[in-house]
Amino acid sequence: MARFQIKCFEDEAVIFDTASGDTHYLKPLTLALYQTSHESPVLTSAEIAQALAQRLSLAVTPQFSLLVDEALTSLRQIGLMETP
Amino acid sequence: MKLCQMSPTDFRRQLAGQGVWLRTGPFSLRVQSRLPRVAEGLAELYGQFEVRNPRLTFADFHIEVNPPGVLRRWFRPQVNFSFDGELPFKPLPLDQAYPMLEWGLNWCVSMHAHQYLIIHAAVVEKNGLAAILPAPPGSGKSTLTAGLVLSGWRLLSDELTLIDRKTGWIQPLPRPVSLKNESIPLIRAFSPQAFINRESHDTAKGTVAHMRPPKESVRRQHEPARPGWVIFPKWEAAAATTLTPRSKAQTFMFLAQNAFNYSHLGADGFRVGTTLIEQTECYDFHYSRLDQAIAAFDRLAATMKPSAIT
Repeated sequence: MARFQIKCFEDEAVIFDTASGDTHYLKPLTLALYQTSHESPVLTSAEIAQALAQRLSLAVTPQFSLLVDEALTSLRQIGLMETP
Repeated sequence: MKLCQMSPTDFRRQLAGQGVWLRTGPFSLRVQSRLPRVAEGLAELYGQFEVRNPRLTFADFHIEVNPPGVLRRWFRPQVNFSFDGELPFKPLPLDQAYPMLEWGLNWCVSMHAHQYLIIHAAVVEKNGLAAILPAPPGSGKSTLTAGLVLSGWRLLSDELTLIDRKTGWIQPLPRPVSLKNESIPLIRAFSPQAFINRESHDTAKGTVAHMRPPKESVRRQHEPARPGWVIFPKWEAAAATTLTPRSKAQTFMFLAQNAFNYSHLGADGFRVGTTLIEQTECYDFHYSRLDQAIAAFDRLAATMKPSAIT
């Protein structure tokens, strides 16, 4: 069994970590970021932000980059992404 | 045989002696108590429930509700709830003997019935679909539940939503509806025919009383229902009646946090809970008038039939 079980509901998701027993909620931006990083696992943080902005048709503003950094941090804390 | 078919004398003697065997939903209980107010509460509220010979029949839960000792019989009398000979709670004032039985029964189910994912929520059914009503205390959940079941909805439970882990359907547990504080006179006024037992005052929840479950709900207590909606009720003074779609993912998180055994079930709790959310519509519901709230629920039930859900 995979460590993480993911269930998407439209643009949000819930995730069960079979290792810790914890359940997490992914808001739309975090889910989109997770999907983007999984499709292209070799991207850097800046490249992920760029790809995500394209996916969501948004400009890469400083505020957007900050949100992406926060979302990346939360995904790494959950264990869904590896720390570079 | 139903409890109401026992003679009052036999019932009280058996309750005070070997105990009374009762079936409620999928569970069987053996209840023993020497307290007249427990006998009174059971006779008034559980008349339609099946009873059997306690010597010959297995019971899931063995329960006693009795005074703790001789001294406490005279000085600030108290009552203890015991389960299989253990005392899971501190004693309460004697006036709270009947509510303590109900709270203790909730505890027995929520701590032991892991064949279900158990959510702290009321649940009612109409036209074959169940509406799950999770909500924090003070949201008007019990009042709305009482109003709905007095208006043609079937009571599945006012406190514990039992989701069968094999089928995903809701298992009924139609026990008495717990009413608190202002909701007691409100429901008495809403339906003078409804039977509400004596009030217990100064409990941890304020004044509490229990409403007898509708006869039809008890008769159909072995008939599970398909989940249709998860609706978060919120009573607000002067609020318009509104039903607003809400995030399914956030609804799942709330249910997981308010389930009694989600953590215990691990990945299967996640599977059962997400499957439930997948097949239901999720709403926030604001209301101030009970009649309007019931009309809104009736409209919802009329628009969605079980056959419309895949």
